[in-house]
Amino acid sequence: MTDRLIGRVLRASTLGFCGAMKLPEPDVPTFGMFCKAAAQRGQSEIFGLIYNIHVDDDLFARQVATVENPSAADIADIQKNRQVPVEYDVLAVGYRNAVGTAVSLLRAAGTSQLPSQQQWSGRGVIHSLPPQPPMTLDPIYACTPEDIRAFTARFDFFRMALNSIEVPGDELLAAAVRSAATAQPDQDRGDYLREAGRELARLLARDLSRLENLLKRIQP
Amino acid sequence: MSLEFSKLVSEVEAMGAALARRAGELSEMLPDARARLQAIGLADDELREKIKRAGDRWRGAIPTAEPVSATFPLPAHPPQADILGADGSQVYPDRHGSALYYLINVGSILYSYGAEGAPVCRSASTVYYEDADLYGETEGLIPTALIDGKRDTAELSELARLAESCHAEPLRRAQGKLFAGHSPGTCIRGKCERSEESQSPAQGKLREASRPASPPSLALVDNGLMLWLALEARQVHRPQVDEILRVYIDQLDRIQASDGTIAGFVGRPRNASVLALLHLASLPLENINEDTLKTARYRGLTDRTLFEYVLRPGERSAVFRSSSLVNLDFKARGHEMYFFYLNCGRPGKKEVARVEVPQWVALDPNRLAFVHAAIVEQCRVPDGFPYVLVRAHELAVVTMEERRAMDEMVQGALLRQGLRSAISQKAQTKQWTGARRRHRL
Repeated sequence: MTDRLIGRVLRASTLGFCGAMKLPEPDVPTFGMFCKAAAQRGQSEIFGLIYNIHVDDDLFARQVATVENPSAADIADIQKNRQVPVEYDVLAVGYRNAVGTAVSLLRAAGTSQLPSQQQWSGRGVIHSLPPQPPMTLDPIYACTPEDIRAFTARFDFFRMALNSIEVPGDELLAAAVRSAATAQPDQDRGDYLREAGRELARLLARDLSRLENLLKRIQP
Repeated sequence: MSLEFSKLVSEVEAMGAALARRAGELSEMLPDARARLQAIGLADDELREKIKRAGDRWRGAIPTAEPVSATFPLPAHPPQADILGADGSQVYPDRHGSALYYLINVGSILYSYGAEGAPVCRSASTVYYEDADLYGETEGLIPTALIDGKRDTAELSELARLAESCHAEPLRRAQGKLFAGHSPGTCIRGKCERSEESQSPAQGKLREASRPASPPSLALVDNGLMLWLALEARQVHRPQVDEILRVYIDQLDRIQASDGTIAGFVGRPRNASVLALLHLASLPLENINEDTLKTARYRGLTDRTLFEYVLRPGERSAVFRSSSLVNLDFKARGHEMYFFYLNCGRPGKKEVARVEVPQWVALDPNRLAFVHAAIVEQCRVPDGFPYVLVRAHELAVVTMEERRAMDEMVQGALLRQGLRSAISQKAQTKQWTGARRRHRL
């Protein structure tokens, strides 16, 4: 499956980045969506969760908004020509090194066979802040189902969402877990959600009301 | 901080009091001015004789067939129309900068009233750096007034391009149907290229007979249509001004030939030409001379203030002809300039503008009504200024940040060519002292 471009980086830090696109599609970008962007000149790929999609206003847009019956041309001009780009914030929740780097690591380990995506399943993915952010105007792609399965095979990224201060962590994690479950084969979805629930129970054992809230959001 | 505000307080208070007093005095003149306007009514032979007696130095408004006191209600707006706006901005040459150049940026918008799609916007810049652009034949660096003239011409040229594209597009769609096998062309709205010349004469006649109607188009400029450069700087730079004026009027030809309409919108105008007419009308014919004409009965009052008193929202005044000497050049090319005042405001908010139109618009009731209706509608959303001109300005303006980015690009380009570029020491000291100081508020 080819990567779907969903915008470009506007500004970035180790904690995450801000992306922009001209106009949103119905399914892109959405809250809790997994996305990825290259870093370290393509040597790594940062995984992130979209958590804040915003459209800014300005004085002229406010003026048009207060008028009774603005014309279709006025509205289209503001939406499509002026209030662009649509921006969204991304929380960095992990990264993986590029295949080339992984191949050299595998060869050093004594095997010459490149694992398939299925075998890859989680290997090489690091659930930690990335070593470097992406650069301005680097493309941002929606994660494919294969990417999502590889990244969410382990639940270590849960802490990154739960502990993030400026992010609606619980809502974001719930949306991400639902997204990850959707990427699983039909017959595995229920098991995945149950495993995710067990992990949440372990992490939030001392905050039962928060746990209950989250479990309600991810239950099938 | 260099203004000592504590010392300015008393002066500013005195100014406020003086302006309030003056506003009271001016408002007392208004009933008299309105009465004189109504007394004139339709210009008669005596008034026309007075205008003739006043001669070339008189700059008053010349009446037309419409009674000078007439007001006209808002006509209906056509269900579909293309409203075109253009504005220009410039970066003047800076002899203290790292390189000598100037830039003209033109923003434009094609707004399709009654259509669903978003307006088509465009910004286009031109950088001038050749000696022929920077220096005149007998003088040093090109005066800023000439750059302004080139900018105004560029705005009009862009409007002409848009007007031509508006009226070519339906024809191209029809060509696709009428001439099987003939390529309908690659007309993208706003970027059409004319190719009617490729048709045979027979096909041309068929095309003309079945030319589909396109929505009417109105091109708007922010300011009067008479080139300011020609009004203000002609005596100083005559050959260059004449050339710029020639090209400028060429664009009016293009718009007229495209079947478009054009108007110049002057917001908060300071003219007093109608008041000059009222003053002239009050003088006995035998007493008209340079001294009596200079006696300013309504000094300080403007036509705008008078028509704020006269016009209700949506109404326009009578059309007048401009007596400016530059109008002779426009008249010679078939674009003699007329104007009227228009209340673009709403109940509770007066917003009277001066609208300039060429003769072929002023004397065409349909085009005049279209200009009237379209401008009022365009002013509805921004509450008193045409939408397309708001946007055209936004698309044209060069911000300080963009100016700095441009300077950095220029420096980079010069360095890549092995040229050391540096700003002048004066510019350098301005940068040193331009930063925020500790004691600044």
